[in-house]
Amino acid sequence: MALEKLLACGRDATAAWDRAVAGAGPDEHESGCRHCRAARADALGLDAVVHRMAAQPVEAPPSVIDRVMTAVVGELRPHDVLLLPSPHGPNRLSRPAAAAVLRSVVDGMDGLRARSCRIEQSERESEDDAAVGSAVDVAVTVTGRFGIDLASVTARVRQMVVAAGEQALGVPVSRVDIDVVDLWD
Amino acid sequence: MEAVRERMEPRVVEKLPTPPRPDVALDDATLVVRAQEGDVRAFEALARRHQAVLYRVAVRVTGDPAEAEDALQEALVDAWRRIGAFRGDAAFSTWMYRIVTNRCVGMLRKRRPVPVDEVADAGLPPAPDDPARAAQIDAELAALGRAIAGLAADQRVCWVLREMEGLGYEEIAAITGASETAVRGRIHRARTRLAEVMRPWR
Repeated sequence: MALEKLLACGRDATAAWDRAVAGAGPDEHESGCRHCRAARADALGLDAVVHRMAAQPVEAPPSVIDRVMTAVVGELRPHDVLLLPSPHGPNRLSRPAAAAVLRSVVDGMDGLRARSCRIEQSERESEDDAAVGSAVDVAVTVTGRFGIDLASVTARVRQMVVAAGEQALGVPVSRVDIDVVDLWD
Repeated sequence: MEAVRERMEPRVVEKLPTPPRPDVALDDATLVVRAQEGDVRAFEALARRHQAVLYRVAVRVTGDPAEAEDALQEALVDAWRRIGAFRGDAAFSTWMYRIVTNRCVGMLRKRRPVPVDEVADAGLPPAPDDPARAAQIDAELAALGRAIAGLAADQRVCWVLREMEGLGYEEIAAITGASETAVRGRIHRARTRLAEVMRPWR
């Protein structure tokens, strides 16, 4: 099997082909070897039409993403929720949606992007339990622009997440864990 | 360039501040983590970012735009279902290439086998003084398409990733799950077969 990619002269056929189509001239051996000359002729002969095919524009049909997203939304787990207190009984808030709100708050901070955002609510006995709407713990990982003041990142992110939790989501945030996991330029 | 900037500047100043569009600047690693945590918009951003390349590969491998569209759609839905299992030890693009090419190979194998004689003949080029010479480029491309259709599915995938997408042997090995030696062997066999079938066009 492995021998199949050696030319009759022992040269590696794949490497010889790649060199030829990359525009490299024949080396001393290749100039004199009929196997190498034939392989180079094949490579160069095929190369033009292969390039033309590769250069042909191919555009994805515009409706694919819409159909994919319809299927994706249809498969969401509806039970992954946070329970928020309200006078009419607990309100349900999708946990991924709540995480998206907190991430977008971090994204809006200069030089920061949220990556992971996990929200945990205390265990409760039932939906009527007093623990409904109890405070959540949030764990976020962030990436920062190279050169930002890392010393203040934790405090600033914590402040924003607590404020967003209470004002945008209506749920008290008891704890925020923050990890800076990557830097970008 | 300067003149353009002078004309543009007042309009930029008048523009209202736009809300941040985080998905524009987010890297794949960030979008993948978000999607793994159930963020549908992050997954949509990934799908939009990669769909053109994935569709192009599917068209080259299947040779059929309708099948390629199905392969792309199924691959993306499949990716959403399985994204929790994506470990990030390979690039997201490598992982997606694998899913879409596996779909394509599955489709090729379900097809009614075409007799070898039908696909091996790439046709003959028109004579050099033929008035239809202008159409020869199209005809030659069509002939190459037929020649590719005659390759075994695993050779076809490796050849497309190498010659159409310009990927390295190591990445193709990661995508296909074959050894680099096997990948080189498949590409070599595909190349020599195509060169042979296309020889009348030289």
